[in-house]
Amino acid sequence: MDSAALAPLLAQVEIRDRSDTNCVQENGTFCFSWALDNFDRYVEPTLQHIVLVVVSVVLGFLIAMGLAVLSHRRRWLIPTFTGLTGVIYTIPSISLFLLLLPFTGRGNDTAVIALTAYTLQIIYRNIVTGLNNVPPEAKDAGRGMGMTDRQLLRRVELPLATPEIVAGLRIAVVSTVAIATLAVFAGGDGLGAEMYRSLDFKTGLLITTGLTITMAVAFDLCLALLQRVLSPWQAPAPRERRARFAALTRRPADA
Amino acid sequence: MAGEVPSTDSGSAGVGTAEAVSVEFRAATKLYAGQSEPAVRELSLEVEAGEICVLVGPSGCGKTTAMRMVNRTVEITDGDILIEGTSVREREPARLRRETGYVIQQIGLFPHRTIGENIATVPGLVGWDRGRVERRVGELLELIDLDPETRDRYPSQLSGGQQQRVGVARALAADPPLMLMDEPFGAIDPINRERLQNEFLRLQAELRKTVLFVTHDIDEAIKMGDRIAILEQGGVLAQYATPAELLMAPANGFVEDFVGADRALKRLALLTVGDVDLWEAPLAHVGQSTAEVRAKLEDAEVPHALLVDDERRPLGWLSESDLAQEIVPRSPDSSPDPVLDLRDVLRDALSDLMQAESMYAPVTDGRGRIAGVLSVEIISDFLNSPAAQVEEHPAAERPLGHDG
Repeated sequence: MDSAALAPLLAQVEIRDRSDTNCVQENGTFCFSWALDNFDRYVEPTLQHIVLVVVSVVLGFLIAMGLAVLSHRRRWLIPTFTGLTGVIYTIPSISLFLLLLPFTGRGNDTAVIALTAYTLQIIYRNIVTGLNNVPPEAKDAGRGMGMTDRQLLRRVELPLATPEIVAGLRIAVVSTVAIATLAVFAGGDGLGAEMYRSLDFKTGLLITTGLTITMAVAFDLCLALLQRVLSPWQAPAPRERRARFAALTRRPADA
Repeated sequence: MAGEVPSTDSGSAGVGTAEAVSVEFRAATKLYAGQSEPAVRELSLEVEAGEICVLVGPSGCGKTTAMRMVNRTVEITDGDILIEGTSVREREPARLRRETGYVIQQIGLFPHRTIGENIATVPGLVGWDRGRVERRVGELLELIDLDPETRDRYPSQLSGGQQQRVGVARALAADPPLMLMDEPFGAIDPINRERLQNEFLRLQAELRKTVLFVTHDIDEAIKMGDRIAILEQGGVLAQYATPAELLMAPANGFVEDFVGADRALKRLALLTVGDVDLWEAPLAHVGQSTAEVRAKLEDAEVPHALLVDDERRPLGWLSESDLAQEIVPRSPDSSPDPVLDLRDVLRDALSDLMQAESMYAPVTDGRGRIAGVLSVEIISDFLNSPAAQVEEHPAAERPLGHDG
């Protein structure tokens, strides 16, 4: 193909791409067209990031719940667990990722271990607080009616602690979304790796940052919704309205 | 009556079918760890099946601890408590508690569960099937006079009084033969408290549970108790007696102080209008000649004539101007209010008289027919007589026609 034949085509491309090529070359603040054209490349890292966060928070929740249940009837364990998870929490994130490398190797496993460890403090503390805030008279009544310790925990204490527990999950998820960007130092994937690749490219940085923030907000909203669904007794007004509506629409035969 | 009816079909007929049990404290002692003095010291008393035993005393007297030892929410240090002859020490705590109703001052409804779910707690724990639980909840809501709609509400949507009623219903749910009630009406305002007390006595007259009732309020104790145990500081039993005995013959200075200087007035709470000798009212009928009525008035105890209908139901008091006419008019000048019932508690009757600023009140029997007239004078005579006969049981739940 000779260049004369290509010329008009190239000209077209150039016209379309000129501003952006310049923008990219000059590392402008945000190259919109480039972003539109290259959005595909962020889908995979975003999904990886979500997996990283979800797996870490779920693991962290399970471990923290185990610790909380263990220490619930053995109060002396609470300072121990709070202290241990607190110490982990104080380790600077980058150091923790790097410190784990010799033991667990590079990759997502190491990232998940570190991220899980970070969630423990927040989730554990919130479960313990939630359980402590259960009204003593509800516990007294439950026990007085013949609930065993396990029944009391499952039927009274944990349900009543749910709002605080989910509140803890919300904080944990939001901070994990942010910290997970550092997983790149442990060889993990996700938006962090993409961010690291764009250290010299403002548009890339802005896109990855924007995606991270959006993800955090989305997770937070989902959990806020979950919080309401799991504790209907805390929102009496809409329920009452629904009940009244149900009463209005009920056939007289049912009443 | 409900005690023998095994049906659970409708209304309150099947609400209380379990036989009540006796409770016996045998030198029951509780010494909390790290304390030198026991909270309850060798408490011995017997509660007969179907009775309300009130544990009363100042705060720190160990009344709540004593009650809690019965369902082992507080463990006995020494001595024993027997329920229908079986030591609670030999019972598995969870099972013992499921068979013992439990009501506390703070109510302790589960805020995350609907009213229906709250009431169904113990039936759920002992594994009743769904249909039976549903029926039972409906029955109990009716018994405590709550709208069936409330079943799906949460406790926070109910008033304090309604919540406490639900607390009682929840304790009654699995039909326990024994109820423990720790200041159940303590957090309720005085007006609703009185309603709840009366309601509970009405229930109890039907259910005949054995009830251990803790309060710090001697008036409540006198009203609710078949027997009252007064505890002194340190869990020492000062006196165990019927309310009447307590008021008539306090065992020592402590009891006398605790019962209070207004013992005579309190005795009014133990009697019904039917217990005192009522005056006879000069009766008049519509169309009767007034001369006849005036003749009746001359040697009557009550200086006013009471107009009654053919069924002898009071219509009103006749005034001077009514009697100035030839025959007794159809509508008298003043209404008969307050009209009292023979079953009314004497103390309430007095307060009705005071409120109406009236010296006399017609008293009717169960069918609304005139039975006599109560006057302020009768009550004051009663209060002044040192040998005033006092009944054995509180008036509110004693059957009619029992004279002293």
